[in-house]
Amino acid sequence: MHTLQTVILGLALGGVYSLMATGLTLIFGVMRIVNLSHGAFMILGAYLAYFGFTLYNIDPLLSLFIVTPLFFFLGIIIYKSIFPRITGSPRFMEMTILVAFGMALILEGAMGKYFTGVYRSANPSYVTDSIQFGELFIPTGQLYATIVSIVLLGLLWAFLNFSRLGYATRATMQNRDAAQIVGVNVERVSTISYGIGMAMAGASGSLISFLFTFFPNKHWQWIAILVSLIVLGGLGSFVGTLISALSLAVIASLVSNWFGPVWSPLTFFLSLFIVLLFRPQGLFGKKLEEE
Amino acid sequence: MTLLQVENVTAGYGFGPDILIGISLTVEEGRTCCIIGPNGAGKSTLLKAICGLLRPRQGRVIYKGEDISHLRPYQTLAKGICFVPQERGLFPDMTVRENLVMGGYILEDRSRLDQEIDRVCEIFPLLKERESQRAKTLSGGEQQMLALGRALILNPELLMVDEPSLGLAPRIAADIFEKIRSFKDFGMTVLLVEQNARKGLACADWGYVLDLGKERIEGPADTILADERIQELYLGKLAAKRKETRS
Repeated sequence: MHTLQTVILGLALGGVYSLMATGLTLIFGVMRIVNLSHGAFMILGAYLAYFGFTLYNIDPLLSLFIVTPLFFFLGIIIYKSIFPRITGSPRFMEMTILVAFGMALILEGAMGKYFTGVYRSANPSYVTDSIQFGELFIPTGQLYATIVSIVLLGLLWAFLNFSRLGYATRATMQNRDAAQIVGVNVERVSTISYGIGMAMAGASGSLISFLFTFFPNKHWQWIAILVSLIVLGGLGSFVGTLISALSLAVIASLVSNWFGPVWSPLTFFLSLFIVLLFRPQGLFGKKLEEE
Repeated sequence: MTLLQVENVTAGYGFGPDILIGISLTVEEGRTCCIIGPNGAGKSTLLKAICGLLRPRQGRVIYKGEDISHLRPYQTLAKGICFVPQERGLFPDMTVRENLVMGGYILEDRSRLDQEIDRVCEIFPLLKERESQRAKTLSGGEQQMLALGRALILNPELLMVDEPSLGLAPRIAADIFEKIRSFKDFGMTVLLVEQNARKGLACADWGYVLDLGKERIEGPADTILADERIQELYLGKLAAKRKETRS
């Protein structure tokens, strides 16, 4: 395949990776929680969109508008019922990793029991179409998914930069104590951010339902890639997350094109390994201060 | 009139030991007060316990006759208590103006916020010049001015400042102290914590000496400055004497 073609497909895929990883970055940035259950919730979102399509004939792109707000509220309920109990604990970060890991396992088990381990993929009409530009093409489904990702990321950007709560969210990410000092209710900001992060997992899931095949255990592969993306970008940095998602998606596509698809997942872990050797704080990260 | 009363407060971090041990002090309205004491005496911890960043394990904090010991920072802020922490507490990736806007976060009225920002920029003209610069690119003194300016947006009744001179060149620190002294003219009560006891007391009219988590001595700032014991312990008189004999 033509290199330019591969790069374009990689960028389109990178847009979707950005959407997936940004949810993690937001949750980490605001709360210092590495949400290892993000991938499992993405798969749950994919199942909802999938069954919406196969049982009720609702297009995954339409059910995205249901799944996303649903996951927002689900996130708020989860945050409220679990995290306030452990905030302020000296072992907060370790505990959150265990909690998130536990949620991922429970969700994986439940999905395996009720949805079985069969490989699934929704197939609305546009997944087999593609749009041609001269010699280049892009699959229609991929194009839609990328557009949805860009729109959602744009909305997040606008929220962070132009709303009062968005200011409070950025302030909390940059300096949590200072945010409290100027009167930000950081518990409220955390709750909303967790909801937004989960909403992005739900939206990503709806896109996964027709972009990829999935099954309950698949979330481990996703979370491994996503965590390597956010660590590579520098934990808590949106710009870093976007750049690492886009560039690694392109590199992975090229690797897959040149050496075969088996090697593409290796791209993420190998680049993470190399970057961390030279820049332990990631591309755009700040060194974590001892608190 | 008594503005703030700290009664028998004990506080510490996480599962750690008590840093403050049964401390009591009273702040009178309109005074500029300075707390001095050696490193680890619990000066910063005391300010954090007052503004609600840290919950007292025991004892009470009473502000204008009301128990505020269990309020969160956003609630004490609404009561008129502003805090400038030791590390300045700025938002490094936000511009100077955005930092000032955050200072008025609890104000609902946006046009009032603009007025308050203009008023603060008159006190610190430099902030107007640096309006669109990111906070992390400012020098130490400029950052301290931004931190003070941000706290002034709400026109607090009680302003608490932790170690304003930390990491600043003496001349710049002197500027900052002069500004803090001038806040008295706005009718503001100031509670200052300072490692540099001489400079801190010089700009205050009331002083407290804190040691090992307890309040030991209090009185008019000039009396404390003149007190022999304090001079020996905290004002470096012994060190100064030693220097003299050596030279």
